Amino acid sequence: MKRTVVLIVALLMVTSLFLTVSASEAGKLVIWADETRAPILQEVGTAFQDTYGVPVEVQEIGFGDIRGQLATAAPAGEGPDIIIGAHDWLGELIQNGLIEPIVLPEAVKKEFDPVAIDAFSWGGQLYGLPYATECVALIYNKDLVPEVPATFEDLLTTAKGLTDQEAGEYGFLIQEPDPFHTFALFSAGGGYIFGNNPDGTLNPCDIGLDNAGAIAGATLLDQMVKDGIEVAGADYGMVTGLFNTGKLAMMIGGPWTLPDAQKGGINYGVAPIPAINGNAPKVFVGVQGFMVSAFSENKVLANLFIKDFLVNNDVMMKLYTAGGRPPAYLPTLQQVSGNADIQGFAASAANGYPMPKIPEMGSVWSAWSDALQLIVSQQAEPATVMGDAVGQIKALLKCE
Amino acid sequence: MKHVLQIVILGALDAIAIWVGTSLVVQAHYLMAVLLLIGAAGINYVYLSKRAYPMRYLLPGLIFLFSMVVYPIGYSFYISFTNLSTGHLLNKPQAIEQITGRFYTPSDAPSFSYEAFEDDTGDIALVLYGDDETLLYYQGVLTQIDPSDDRLVDEDGDGKPDRFLSYKVMTLPEIIKGLPTIEGLRIPYDEGTIRLDSLREFKLSSRRYSYNPATDMMRDLQTGTVYPNLEGFYTSDDGDELYPGFKIWMGLKNYLELILNPLVSGPFARVFGWTVIFAGLSVLTTFALGLFLAILLNDPYLKLRRFYRVLVIVPYALPAFISILIWHGLLTNMGLFNHVLLQLFHFSIPWLENAFWAKVSIILVNLWLGYPYMMIVSLGALQSIPGELYEAARVDGATWWQRFSKITLPLLLMPLAPLLIGSFAFNFNNFTLIWLLTEGGPPINARTVAQSTDILLSYAYRLAFQGARGNQFALAAAVSVVIFFIVATISAINFRLTGALEDLSKNV
Repeated sequence: MKRTVVLIVALLMVTSLFLTVSASEAGKLVIWADETRAPILQEVGTAFQDTYGVPVEVQEIGFGDIRGQLATAAPAGEGPDIIIGAHDWLGELIQNGLIEPIVLPEAVKKEFDPVAIDAFSWGGQLYGLPYATECVALIYNKDLVPEVPATFEDLLTTAKGLTDQEAGEYGFLIQEPDPFHTFALFSAGGGYIFGNNPDGTLNPCDIGLDNAGAIAGATLLDQMVKDGIEVAGADYGMVTGLFNTGKLAMMIGGPWTLPDAQKGGINYGVAPIPAINGNAPKVFVGVQGFMVSAFSENKVLANLFIKDFLVNNDVMMKLYTAGGRPPAYLPTLQQVSGNADIQGFAASAANGYPMPKIPEMGSVWSAWSDALQLIVSQQAEPATVMGDAVGQIKALLKCE
Repeated sequence: MKHVLQIVILGALDAIAIWVGTSLVVQAHYLMAVLLLIGAAGINYVYLSKRAYPMRYLLPGLIFLFSMVVYPIGYSFYISFTNLSTGHLLNKPQAIEQITGRFYTPSDAPSFSYEAFEDDTGDIALVLYGDDETLLYYQGVLTQIDPSDDRLVDEDGDGKPDRFLSYKVMTLPEIIKGLPTIEGLRIPYDEGTIRLDSLREFKLSSRRYSYNPATDMMRDLQTGTVYPNLEGFYTSDDGDELYPGFKIWMGLKNYLELILNPLVSGPFARVFGWTVIFAGLSVLTTFALGLFLAILLNDPYLKLRRFYRVLVIVPYALPAFISILIWHGLLTNMGLFNHVLLQLFHFSIPWLENAFWAKVSIILVNLWLGYPYMMIVSLGALQSIPGELYEAARVDGATWWQRFSKITLPLLLMPLAPLLIGSFAFNFNNFTLIWLLTEGGPPINARTVAQSTDILLSYAYRLAFQGARGNQFALAAAVSVVIFFIVATISAINFRLTGALEDLSKNV
């Protein structure tokens, strides 16, 4: 028995040597980034370490998982100092007390796309350093549609001529159709999501998804289905798969669809969505950036890393090359502005609308996509179903 | 040899326990640390003491039972009585710390460049250079200092002091090492506080909020607005909320919401009904097909029996995750099935777009996923039915159907009933299938949160993550608790019934 105890103690000591106490610690920067950006940040981190002697650890986490994992890890003291994320997470992250404003001199802010800076601002403070903006645009196959249709009505006529569902050929498809890709139809006639309070903040109880403009958009989608242009169940894989094999002439898509289209050898073009009924449609703009955790023990270092090591053309160019999204940093945007894809998306974003960043958006996404599904499967009248959706959102948000 | 292995494993376990325990103590989770150490001591006792011998076999199971079943259920119970949701994620001290830790720094606030000095003990002194004054922060006291003060020694003659008394000036890397201390300094000055603003600068800021524990109110020191605690948010009379909010005890409010909010309770009965139908039909169809194939493959006159058996088990060997996604691809409106139907018969079926067909699709896909299991257990059970019974039946002139319904089925149901109940309970919560195949869709209408193929669990998920504003963990936990009681009740009734069945068999 005595020998056993001695043995255990000995083993304990040996094993303990190999294990170090791990906790969120001062004097070391931890960054959470997705697989595309992690290698670039690791490089920057090495440069940071060489300058200041502070180790930088980049942990790879799926882009969509960062928000949720931060909520569990940060308050428990296990979180990172810096995260990569999207601007529409802002409301949730701030209300949960997970991020803090970043410190950026006014002169540096001016080097960024004002829309991107605005997207990362909340209550007059800047909560993130933007690096890319993204939005959807009309992506078309130049071999099937040599000229961008001048109006949406022309686009539909062309699309109808190219559609032969039994042969598996399509003229124009909107993905799913989900709210993100369909917003253009709603916004053109004056549909909106949340109205503004007098102080400029969003009023979640003023919902413009059942006004005349929005219903016109929903009716247009309904007509597209009746004309055999749009079909139910056109999910991401299906739409991009058809486009990349030359069986779809036009789609509404973002920069993320392009690499596969290039691989498919498609001669494509990117252009703003043509005017609907004479009105230029607005598309959602999403902005991605770097944010600082409220539970970071190295806030000064984290801000230093962001301001001195990320704000430069070299890093921003690498982030652009890896992600293919238009840079939010103006000098880099300037440099890549000759790229036709970037020009197309920039023209589309010029009339863009930053995705609302308040958490109330959750209920809008789900009710609105229900309504769109019912329209596309021809189970509901556009006007009724949009009214129902807005009613549901208002009830969920306890507006009345 | 066996003894040595036991000690090695136990030693490693203890090392891990101590390691985890230390980090728990470092992070001030004292209760968890104590529980962990008690647990570890218990394990050591069980595996070293002869008296606790039987426990050695029970303990691993008990540990898993506790950590995988009892703890999550208990935690869900706890959550369902709070308001844990977007905006109410932190506990109250954390939220108060964040709000009161906020500073207001006007853009024209005085700023100070600085030099830091450190002595052998690691104590830090600062010299702050403002626009028109120089300040010394030394041993917790801020005083004016003349830059030519003889306590400041310039050794290399570059015009900057290199020493303060016995304190040596810190280089940039040293400052960075000392940042945790320097960043934490809050030096009162005038009405405000001097604190580190960036690596190279201190700034005069003022606290934004003060907290009064007696009234549980926040006060904006700039405007004087008070923010009383209103259900987990400090909220002003104008309805202005201070973020972050915090977690509070809500009692039965979430359960009342389930009953009283028509938006939540309305679909509940409908979703519950479909959950029961789905689980019941799944068990019925998979068992019927599995049994049919088992009887077929049990026929000694069938050629290539082994080959067929392998072939039929294939769906079981594929991970459900993958095969469900493949089925989804086949069944979508533009998928292979409809493509073929369209080419051959010029019509298509809205497999996933129509509520009825979506339900059919779910049952069919679950049949594909589930029948091999039923077939395997039926094959085993069929072997155990004595052949003489069939011979006797044949002699008595029983038809095939009579032999099946009077001998095979009753004798098979006896051993299989618990498995069928298990299958029912499993499908009752078969979130994976529903979510990967239809995501609960298609929508019933745009007026309700629930969708047509939602089962209770996917409905809870929807409430939690697609609900009103952000994540509603507490409400979803309440639904989970309700589901727990429903499943527990069904299981209890079923076990009672099978118990009755067993009694019956004893009397035969």
